[in-house]
Formats: sequence, C-alpha cells, structure tokens
Amino acid sequence: MQCRARPHATFDGRSESAHVGRVNYLLRVWLIAGVTAVSVSAQKIPVVEKHLPNGFKLLLVERHEEPRIAGGWVAHVGSANERPGITGIAHLFEHMMFKGTPTIGTTDAARDLDILVQQEQVRDEMRAEEARMRHALRKGEVDDITSPESKSDHYKELEARFQKLIDAERQVLVKNEFDRVYTTAGASGMNAFTTEDMTGYFITVPANKLELWCWMESERLLHPVFREFYAERDVVFEERRMRTESTPTGKFAEQFNAMFWDAHPYHWPVIGWPSDIPAISKRQADDFYQQFYQPDNITLILVGDFDPAAAEAMVIKYFSRIPKGSSPPSEVTTLEIPSVGEKRYYAEAETNPQLDILWRTVGFGHKDSYPLDVLQLLLSGRTGRLYKGLVLGRQSATEAVAQQDSRKWAGAFEIEAEVREGKTTEELEAAIYEELERIKNEPVPPEELQKVKNQFAAAEYRKLSANFPIFRQVLQSEGLGDWHEVNEAGPRLQAVTAEDVQRVAKKYLVKENRAVAVYTRKPGTGGTAEDPDLAGLSAEQKPIIRRVVQALGQETDADKLQQQADAIESRLSSTDPKKLPLQKLILKKLRARVTELKAVPADKKP
Amino acid sequence: MELRAVRWFQVFWLCGLCLRAGESIPDRPEKLEFPPLQYSPPHADEYRVALKSGPVAYLVPDHELPLVNLSILVRTGAYLEPADKTGLANFTGYLLTRGGIGEKTADELEERLAFLAASLTSGIGDDQGIVNLNLLAKDLEEGLGLLRQALTAPRFQADKLELYRDQTLQALRQRNDDSSAIEARESEALAYGTNAWISRNETDASVKSIAVADLHAFHQKWFQPSNFVVAASGDFDRDSLVSKLEQLFSSWPFSGEVPPPIPTNFAMAKPGVYVVDKDVNQGRVSLLLPGVRRDSPDFPAVLVMNDILGGGGFTSRIMNRVRSDEGLAYGAGSAFPGGVDYALPFRAGLASKSRTVAYAASLVIEEMHRISDQPVSSEELNTAKRSFIDTFPQTFNTKGKIAGQFARDEFTGRHARDPGFWDQWRQRIDSVTQDEVQRVARKYLTPDRAILLVVGKKDEILKGHPDHPVTLGSLVPGGLVELPLRDPLTLTPLDSGTKKVE
Repeated sequence: MQCRARPHATFDGRSESAHVGRVNYLLRVWLIAGVTAVSVSAQKIPVVEKHLPNGFKLLLVERHEEPRIAGGWVAHVGSANERPGITGIAHLFEHMMFKGTPTIGTTDAARDLDILVQQEQVRDEMRAEEARMRHALRKGEVDDITSPESKSDHYKELEARFQKLIDAERQVLVKNEFDRVYTTAGASGMNAFTTEDMTGYFITVPANKLELWCWMESERLLHPVFREFYAERDVVFEERRMRTESTPTGKFAEQFNAMFWDAHPYHWPVIGWPSDIPAISKRQADDFYQQFYQPDNITLILVGDFDPAAAEAMVIKYFSRIPKGSSPPSEVTTLEIPSVGEKRYYAEAETNPQLDILWRTVGFGHKDSYPLDVLQLLLSGRTGRLYKGLVLGRQSATEAVAQQDSRKWAGAFEIEAEVREGKTTEELEAAIYEELERIKNEPVPPEELQKVKNQFAAAEYRKLSANFPIFRQVLQSEGLGDWHEVNEAGPRLQAVTAEDVQRVAKKYLVKENRAVAVYTRKPGTGGTAEDPDLAGLSAEQKPIIRRVVQALGQETDADKLQQQADAIESRLSSTDPKKLPLQKLILKKLRARVTELKAVPADKKP
Repeated sequence: MELRAVRWFQVFWLCGLCLRAGESIPDRPEKLEFPPLQYSPPHADEYRVALKSGPVAYLVPDHELPLVNLSILVRTGAYLEPADKTGLANFTGYLLTRGGIGEKTADELEERLAFLAASLTSGIGDDQGIVNLNLLAKDLEEGLGLLRQALTAPRFQADKLELYRDQTLQALRQRNDDSSAIEARESEALAYGTNAWISRNETDASVKSIAVADLHAFHQKWFQPSNFVVAASGDFDRDSLVSKLEQLFSSWPFSGEVPPPIPTNFAMAKPGVYVVDKDVNQGRVSLLLPGVRRDSPDFPAVLVMNDILGGGGFTSRIMNRVRSDEGLAYGAGSAFPGGVDYALPFRAGLASKSRTVAYAASLVIEEMHRISDQPVSSEELNTAKRSFIDTFPQTFNTKGKIAGQFARDEFTGRHARDPGFWDQWRQRIDSVTQDEVQRVARKYLTPDRAILLVVGKKDEILKGHPDHPVTLGSLVPGGLVELPLRDPLTLTPLDSGTKKVE
C-alpha cells in the first residue's frame, strides 16, 4: 500500500497494446481531418450491472486474456464527507480496513476485543490530557505539543500504560494477516486509495481464487476490527510528512488549495490537517464506518477471467450476509460560493520559479465538462497551444500543462507552467493569458480540433491493455458518480464544437474566477553555473575561489578591496608557481568587484 | 466502550447463526477449496525471427485492437559517453525523435504524429537505448517510414538541442530541492564510487559542452541494425511485418561499431554512517550492501530471503516492525535486485520523523541479524514462494509484455544462455529451502560492511528520541561522516567538504 491518498490519482494511458477479449466496439466515430477521412471505433467496455437486495451494486467485466481477476470496490466516501476536527478520517479509515476481522489478525478474538476496550479507556484519559496540552499551547505556556520533551508526567505515565496494553495485544496479534492470506494465495497488487470523493480498494487474484476474494472482502465489510488504530495514526502522519511536509512544494500547494475553495469541503487536504490526524478517536472511526460503509454506499467491481453467472452467484452468497444500512449516508450539501475576486498566493520555495493557476469550473458529468476537456487537450501536449506558444514561441516556459479536474461535487481548470531561466513569472503569466484570449477570440481551426479528438480516441484504446487498467477506469467513473461515463464520455467529447470551446473559455477562464500561485526560488538554493574562469584550477582550489567570490559579493567597501588587490599583485612574482593561477584569479575577481562597486552610485549601494 | 463490545459480540453471534442456517461459509479462508489452475508460459521461439538485415525480432500478432506497438532496443548507453560530456547519451536518445528527421523539421514531425494520434519516442539509459513507435495499424506503412528516418537520419536541430539543454539545466537546478533526489544521488556515489561511470552526473559544464556534431557522432557509432533487437505486438500479419522490417533495416547508410563490454570496476565506499544535512522534518535512510547478479546460483534464494525480510510489502518483517508495530514510517522495506551485467546493491530504506530515524534504522538492522541468525518459519517461506509462483502469469499477461520480455532476454543474452529460464523459473523458486534462505542471509546481509546513508535535519536526527536510546553513529562500524550538499549545477561541495562528525 505504497500509494494511498493520492488526491488525483491519474492513470497512465500509454501502456502497451494488448488483447481485450470481450471488449466490443459498438460506437463508431468518424474522424475527419483535412482531406483525409479516417474511421476509428471508440471503445466500449461491456460492463454488466447487478444489484444485491441489501444495496450493493455489482459491476462485472468478463475478459479471458489471462487467468487472473482484478477485483475491488469503491466506497462513495472521501474527504469531502468529513467535517472540521476529523479531517483525514476517510483516509485513516482506508488504512484501518486492512487490520483484519475477529478471525483474521488474532489468535484470540475475545482477548483481543477486551484489550481494545481497555486501550480506549486509557486513550480517553490521554485525550483529556491532550486537551490540557492544547490549552497550554493557546496560553503560550508551551511552544510545541508534539515534541517528546513537552509531554507532562501524567501523559508519560498514560503512554506507559497504553504501551503495556499494546504489548498484551501483541501476544494474540497475527501481524498483517489479511495481507498474508492473499499473498499466500497468489494474489498481488493489494492496495487502496482515498480522494476527496471516494475510497477505492483493489487486488488481483488468480482466476481460481474468486471465492477467496469474496470471503476476504465480505468478511472485512461484515465485521472489521480496527486493531493497532493508534500506531496507524502515526503511520498516516509519516505519510503526511512524506507527501506534504518534506517535499519542495507540498506545504504550499496545500495552503493554495485551501485558499482556492471557500465554502466547499474540498478546502481541506485528503490526508487531513496535522492537528486533526492525532486527535481522531477510534469511536469516531466506528461512527464513520456505520454511516459510510453500508452496502448501498458501495459498488463491487470484478474484471477478468470468470463466468459472469457463477461470479454473481458467488458474490450474492458472500455479500448478502452484510445487513442493509439503517439510514442513508449524508450527502455533501455545501455548494461552493461564487468567486468574486481574483486570489493571489506568493511562495518562496525550494523549486524553480513556476505558476499554478486555478479557475473554478464544473464537476463530473456537467455538460460543460466535455468542452473543458477538449480545451485541456488543445492546450496540452507537444503540439498544444501552451507548448507552442510559451515553450517554443515566446520561450518563457520550459514546460506547461493544462488540466480540467472534474470532481464529484465541483471542478477546477488548472494551468501549471515552469519559468524558463532568464524570464520572470510576470512575463509567463501574461503569456498564458494571451494564449487564453486567443482561444476566446478566434475559433479553433477544424484540423486542430480534429487532431485532439483523434488523440483522445486513440488514447482510449491504449487504456484497454489489461484487466487492471479497465478496472481502474470503471472504478474511477463509478466513484465520481456513474460508471456509464467510461463509454459515454467519448461520444460527448467528439461532439464538442469550436464554439463550445470558445464559450466555456469565456465563461470560466476569467480573472475574478481564478487563483494564482506564484512560486519563486528560495534564495541560495538553485545552484550556480560553473564559472568558466575556474577551468584551469585543481579540485582543491575551486572551492577556495567560490568562497572568495561569495565573500566579495557581500563586501561593499571598494577602497578596502582595492588595497587587497594591490597587496596580492605585489606578491605575484614570488608566488609558488602551482598557486599562481589561483592568485591571479583572486586578483581578477577582486578587480571586477571594485569596478562593479565604483559603477554603482553611492545611494544605491546595498 | 461497553456498548461497542456488546455490539461486536452480537455481530459475531448472529453471523454464526446465519451460517449454520444458510449455505456454509467457513470461518477461516484456509477451509475454502479452489479448482486447480494450470498455466504454462509462452515460448520465445514461437515468436523469434532472425532478420536477414541484422536484428533479431519478436513478433506477437494481436488483432483485438487496431494498434501496433514496435520497440527497437539498441546496444548503446551512457557508459559509452566521454567523461567530460556526461549527458551525451541522454541528449542523443531524447533528440533522436525530437530534433527533426529526414525531410521533416521537428515541428512538422510533431504535427504529423499528433494528427495520426501516433507516438514516436526514444531514449538512452545507462546500458540500453530504445525507440518506440505506437500507432493505429492503418498508419503502419507511414510510421515505419518515419521510424527509418529517425534511425538513419535524425537532424538534431540546433534549436531543439538548445531547448533541451535549457530544460535539462532547469531540472538540474532542482537537484537539492527534494531530499529523495539527494538520497538517490549520494546512494549511487557511495555504492559504486564517485569515479565510476555509473555515478557520473550531468553538470552545467558537461551539458553545455554537448554540440550537434557530438550527437551525430554518438548516433552513427551505435545505431546500426546489428546492435538492434526488435519487439512488435499488435494488429499485423507476421509474414508481412517480417518483410517490412527487412526493408526497414536494409541498406544502412553508415556503419557503426560493436559496443565494448560494460565496465564494472566499481568501488563501494567504506562502511559508515553518512549524513547529508537537509532542512526537512522527515529523515530518509538507505542502508546499502554489495549485491548480486541475477544469474548467480544464489539469486532465487536471495529473492525469497529478501521477500521475507523487506521485499514482500505488508507480509515482510521490516514493514511489520517499522510500520505496523511502531508506526515509525509509511514506507519501509528492502530490495535485492539482481544486476544483469554487474551486481546491483542491496538496499533497505525508510523515511521517519527526524527524532525516530536512528531507532527505525536500528530495527532494520535487527531484522537483518534475525534472518541471518534464525531460520525463517515454513509459513513465511511458503508465503514468499507463492507470491512469486502464483503471480507468474502476470509476466506475460499482454501481447506487448510477451514481445517485450523476450526481446529483452535476447538483448541481455539470457535467451541464448538459459533458454529454459521461464519454464524452470517457478521450480527454481519452489526448491528454495529454509536452510538456503539462512545461508544467503548470512552471506549477503553483513551489517558490519554496511553503508548507512541518512538525509535530513542532522541536529534533530542526532538528538534521537528519549524513549529509544539509540545513537545513529553506533549502528554500523566506521563512524559518522557528514557529506556536503553539492551545488546542483556543478556538483562541487557547497561547504568545506566531507568531514568526520565528532
């Protein structure tokens, strides 16, 4: 499970071409460009939809190209279903779903349960102490409640008691047994992910082990046991450090996102705010489970080598055991407020200068999402408008990409671009808007429009290489709201006109609707080009001259430097020949600095 | 909490009742019975064609989708570039299809490919080059024409060289921004020695020294049919593609050279703890040891041993200790990749908050000792073996993978040396014993020879954690050495250089 909580897990469609056994090509799309008319059949994945009486939806795609089955399910819950105080719980939950059941993960279910109850009692006391620590922080009595030194004696004592219970739990614990059962059975690729909109779980099993998949997945939905809950919170915190806090732009991107969304819960990060993750209690997790992991909030998906009737019967046998939910899960009711003014965010980071521009647009399945998808294609790629206009034409960027991100509840259009050395973020930003104005004011030529539609159709094929990519497409669409989109988005996109593209560009890509993040490099972190003067120096001498140059840059007294230069010059004739090139170079740098300082008027000197 | 406990018992109890009432669902997965599953891998000779024009090709027709995928593997690599032009192989590989070909300028080629919804890409890595063509079957004729021009007549336009140079320099500037990039670079230098070709890196000076003439010379030296192996899959007729390929590779306009063997005179750094100071709140750890080649008779046992130690994800010991037990890391594990031409180092790695870096690393070393000192359990051994044996069909689960795997075997010489490799692979894994696992663990997992690289906030990491009295410097012999950060463009040390830390 190396790849959890990737908020926008995208799928690489450039995989190798391959057999797709039962995939039909029913939709025919005529791709016409210039004088050539070519015909390409669009993909249609033959999904069979079934419903279980307790509410589960089941999607089946039969394929016999390899003796394996990609299986999984999507729970229609993500970070958008959280609230302040428990942000990150949907993702934490995803981790907890691998901890087992009363029979998987322990040798003694009763003892295990007893210890879990005792652990919660100690944790309740610890939570009271944590509340006092937060109070002390607010009063300024402590600076950092996360450092080991700031723990109170009482808290340390509670920690020791809790550790004893963990030791006791380990006596009956069977580590990661859920994973081991699958691995021993030849399954592979077990993983899960959480986004703002959904939580997906998946694995690939040998074709003869479909019953094992049914047993394992229905068991953990029927009676999950959230053991090792508190150690797993620490794991999630390490995940947060890895993805957000210790990456060059992670913490800035998190703030920028929070600035972009005002009212909508997309405002907080999928992984959760740092203070919320360690404060989530197991009780809150239990409540969350009751609400969002009931059968009518889950879709089961199987893609691969099975007989559909037998597979359906097997799924019914196992998953019918799970009781129907008592009340439907709550939906996200908050609608984003209209954007009334441009937002700007400036960050100095350890990264090359770059721009990230977001506009509020529309979500999954909205009629405008298709022209926005086409706009993305027109702007992106090596023959796209951004590359041609910014990278090749104006040479103000080294790379530039666009993306329409149609999420379940709302959407955004994004352009990211890296500034080319010697140019500025201002120049690049102006150039991006010029390209967008051109889209708004001049209809896209038919050949160009057709080109991106051709690319889209071909990319659709390339996604059909094997069970798992097909599985992921179905899961993604279903998680966003409707699996039918895997087959229906293509024709809708092919129907987009040049006028549609102009219309959505004019409607959404406007100043008051955007937020702009401007990244500039933190001083002193980007490296320096090799000074050609250093070419003749030895490896030991090069660092010396670099330090000299650095020191000279900070010295502003021209007369003092002039005296030093004179002193070196007077000694040159008696210098050791090995050191002569170095001394000559120091002299050259000194003189250059003196000239530079004398050229600057006194009132402009730093 | 009392209420919750009652509810769990109720669920348990009710469940038991309905099981007795309905069709039997066992309480443990071991009680399930499964139908047998037979699988035999494809055979290379069914697809192999030795073309008269020079290359060996693997052709795997597949008529389900109207696409063709063609890859040319090329015997070349960064090991062949002059030391002062590091990056030449990379530049040649990238610009082969991005700098114009034959009659077409780079921009004309891009437009044509985009119009055809085709992709033509290329690259050169350490010891292999590759050119890929992926397109709709109806365009195959035109695509092969473009491929011929790319292979024989790349233009290496000066403006595209300048653009790629600028893009590369931009990428170099980011070298110290992410701690994982620093870790990767320093790992290589420690594992192979700073003077080895494999740990040479592009610099501002080396990138700026590359000229159009260098690209042409490098290309013409190595891009000739006798240095090619071809993998093709997709919607084509085999015989017809054979004659098209003969045509593609015939009458080559220049003659090149046969590349010399890959130099393997690497020198691993002395054992010790090497620290790079970087202001981030999570420290990254790499433990390195000398590795093996994949054709070593020890390799199947090494794979199984590593799977149990740290390669098997959640069933592995390192993951259990460091992540599940202690919550010290999100990812923790080990890798023992077998090298083709030279041994690749063993690496165990993790990332943990600064104060617990030393403790987490000590747990990894403990596990290395444990797997050497005590036999693994038969359950662990079985799980590890099944994870290789039962997932084996995935090696060949697409026609593209069949063509690609066999072409790679041809390229590396495995097809010639060990033609029964894939037929025997599962048996070789299955015959590994507990004794063998312990033997290879003792042989290769020698913490007293280890290099422990740590990238992170040095002061915090050295402080350690009050609950876990472990000091970083005591974990492996050799003492603590601070490695300097390097200027991202020149790679020269930013401060006074390597020093011992007291």
